Amino acid sequence: MAPSVPLTERKIRLSKPAIVWILLLLPFALAMVAMTIGRYQISVLDTVKILLSPISPAYAGDIPEVAKRLVLQIRAPRILAALLIGASFGATGTAFQAIFKNPLVDSNILGVTTGAGFGAAIAILLRGTHWQIQISAFLFGLLAVSLSFFGSRLYKATPLLVLTLMGILVGSLFSSLTALLKYMADPLDSLPAITFWLLGSLTNITWRSLPVLAAIALTGLVFFWFLGWRFNIISLGDEEAKSLGINPVHMKMMIIFAATLMTAAAVSISGVIGWVGLVIPHAGRMMVGPDHKRLIPATIGLGAAFLLLIDLIARALLPGEIPLGVLTGLVGVPLLMGLLRKNRTGW
Amino acid sequence: MTVLLKAQNLSFAYQAQKTILHDINLSVKKGEVLYVLGPNGVGKTTLLHILAGLLAPDTGQVTLADQPLGTYPAQKRAQMIGLIPQLHMPAFAYSVKEMVMMGRAPHLGWFSSPSEADESVVEEALEQVGLYELQDRPYTSLSGGERQLVMIARGLVQKCHILLMDEPTAHLDLSNQHRILEIVNQLSHQGLSFIISSHSPNDALAYADNVLLLSGGWVTEYGPPKQTLTEPIISSVYGIQTEVVFDWLAGIAVPKAVVPRRPLKLVPESLIEPGSRLNQVYEQSLVSPQIILITGLSGAGKTTWCQRLAQSAKKMGVTVAGILSPGIYENGRKLAIGARDLYGGEERQLAQLREKEDATLATPRWVFDPTALEWANQKLGSAPKTDLLIIDELGPLEFLRGVGLTEGLSRVDSGSYRVACVVVRSSLLPKALQRWSNAVVVDGA
Repeated sequence: MAPSVPLTERKIRLSKPAIVWILLLLPFALAMVAMTIGRYQISVLDTVKILLSPISPAYAGDIPEVAKRLVLQIRAPRILAALLIGASFGATGTAFQAIFKNPLVDSNILGVTTGAGFGAAIAILLRGTHWQIQISAFLFGLLAVSLSFFGSRLYKATPLLVLTLMGILVGSLFSSLTALLKYMADPLDSLPAITFWLLGSLTNITWRSLPVLAAIALTGLVFFWFLGWRFNIISLGDEEAKSLGINPVHMKMMIIFAATLMTAAAVSISGVIGWVGLVIPHAGRMMVGPDHKRLIPATIGLGAAFLLLIDLIARALLPGEIPLGVLTGLVGVPLLMGLLRKNRTGW
Repeated sequence: MTVLLKAQNLSFAYQAQKTILHDINLSVKKGEVLYVLGPNGVGKTTLLHILAGLLAPDTGQVTLADQPLGTYPAQKRAQMIGLIPQLHMPAFAYSVKEMVMMGRAPHLGWFSSPSEADESVVEEALEQVGLYELQDRPYTSLSGGERQLVMIARGLVQKCHILLMDEPTAHLDLSNQHRILEIVNQLSHQGLSFIISSHSPNDALAYADNVLLLSGGWVTEYGPPKQTLTEPIISSVYGIQTEVVFDWLAGIAVPKAVVPRRPLKLVPESLIEPGSRLNQVYEQSLVSPQIILITGLSGAGKTTWCQRLAQSAKKMGVTVAGILSPGIYENGRKLAIGARDLYGGEERQLAQLREKEDATLATPRWVFDPTALEWANQKLGSAPKTDLLIIDELGPLEFLRGVGLTEGLSRVDSGSYRVACVVVRSSLLPKALQRWSNAVVVDGA
């Protein structure tokens, strides 16, 4: 007689498509939880009622006004922003790693984040409004990538390497300029503002910040998702892509354009949040493998869930707000190490 | 049979004035296996890239199924021609199946992902190359031979008519080379055409329908392997003495392998001693002038070899002309180079050691006496036709710069001798063999 294996000891192995779906639904589940958590605890049932109240106020008739305001005006936009920004970082990081054929690059490879940081710093120094800071950050992010991209065109050689080099050069140019601005800034007023901006935060999110971010992020995410499988071919290099009937130059330009807009839009709202774009793709590969058909949706879900989790910790679990740039590393490193331990197949 | 791919008068340069390929013509029929052979850096990969449509030729054109290749949209082209690059490692550990699936790209629209029909095409191709069991393994964990098979499977799912392979057997062991080429052979019998760049004349002998030999960017030979892969042609293309080994089992002599031949170790006297290997050269020289290249590293004894030959030849009554350049030593150090006219017997100093080496000059270590050089050239030019011509030595000055003992080169070219013995250092042997591909190489040690 064959020894019967107790049900609990059987290892449940999820198929990769199933994992992708779980990763995609994870941020929504997490978002529901996040709506309820904060200084002011609101029950799940009440939260659902509040969320339904814009459709019919009758749903939330008995709930205090302060709870409604908290969920609808403060938590909801912040959570939505965290989801969009996290998803953007995850997907653009994956995209950049594919087109640069290098698992060690992230969304900032062409200097978009560093450029945006400079843009924000200069706007803060000039006492710009909240809006002006965002616009300045966005535009300087685009400027930095344009400099890297068109700078690399000056040199007629292996474009990928030159593009990477230009990205590094432009990145260091803008970090030097930012350092200069910090040196010049008023140490009691604008310097801390710049420093906090550079560490990233979602504190100041309101509904007003969302439409542009959502439009850019969602368009980009959909574009990447549909492109999905073709990232595989791009990641083999130009020659093979060409021999498989794909124009790698056009495709890379479109990807860089989309990824830059997405990253700039995200960074201009959240400030500099490093690390997500580098590590989420790795976590994704460990869970669903390197095939971009699954990896792109997986990293969209993972990125969104991760940033939401980080922001939740930042605003709720600790007294006083901790900048996101600090937490991404503190929370992310142990998470990634755990994944590494569980999954030895490498990438 | 119909011609699938045809190239006419192709030429290509990466930089202006530095033409890599000149006037290439070729055509490939359905089911044909064409091998492109040639030394390293001769432009084989470039040619494949032009034929695959990745590069546009500067002049000439490629036609695919009677239509100019340039007029094909990229996707359409990829449905006809597949390219398998040299073995490489992608940055990401795609599974075998995912890797093969990429070959479906030419058949899928923008934004569409592979369907189940595509999956079954992939599985069929994996079955065909014998990798079905490995389909979930990471491509990066496979052996070189298996990776090459994956790439062939990718070419198969591309459903193309011609597969171009860039050195498919490089870095593979014997059994894997055989495995790959047998699959190529089978597929070609099913009607798939191949253009394969390779370093192995022997693979071409065994598997090619036609061979295109490239040398210096020009087509030196083009035709069936039995006619193109002969001793003198291989020797001149690769600059190495070779020997074709024949397969006698078939009843008729079938060329089976081309193997490099090592320089013969022969005493100089044997040239004029009847019955020896070197004497056969002397016998043949009754029909046509023969050239012997004396080779070896610096100080190996090349000059001594020639000296002994000249001495014993004169003793036997064989007439000798030429120039010998013995080193003039002091305390075991070569301080100067002499020049002895073997016909007249006069001797002069040809060159002196520089006090300080100067790498910027044509001769960093030696100061040549121009009048002595002129004298040597004049002596070489004025000597009458003799049985033996000995020239010691022709070096980079003569072969690469066209200066120095130029009369030596033209004298050897002219053939006014029965046997010419020319001293050439090992590094210049390819150059010398390209000039005189029939020469016999002798180790001067």
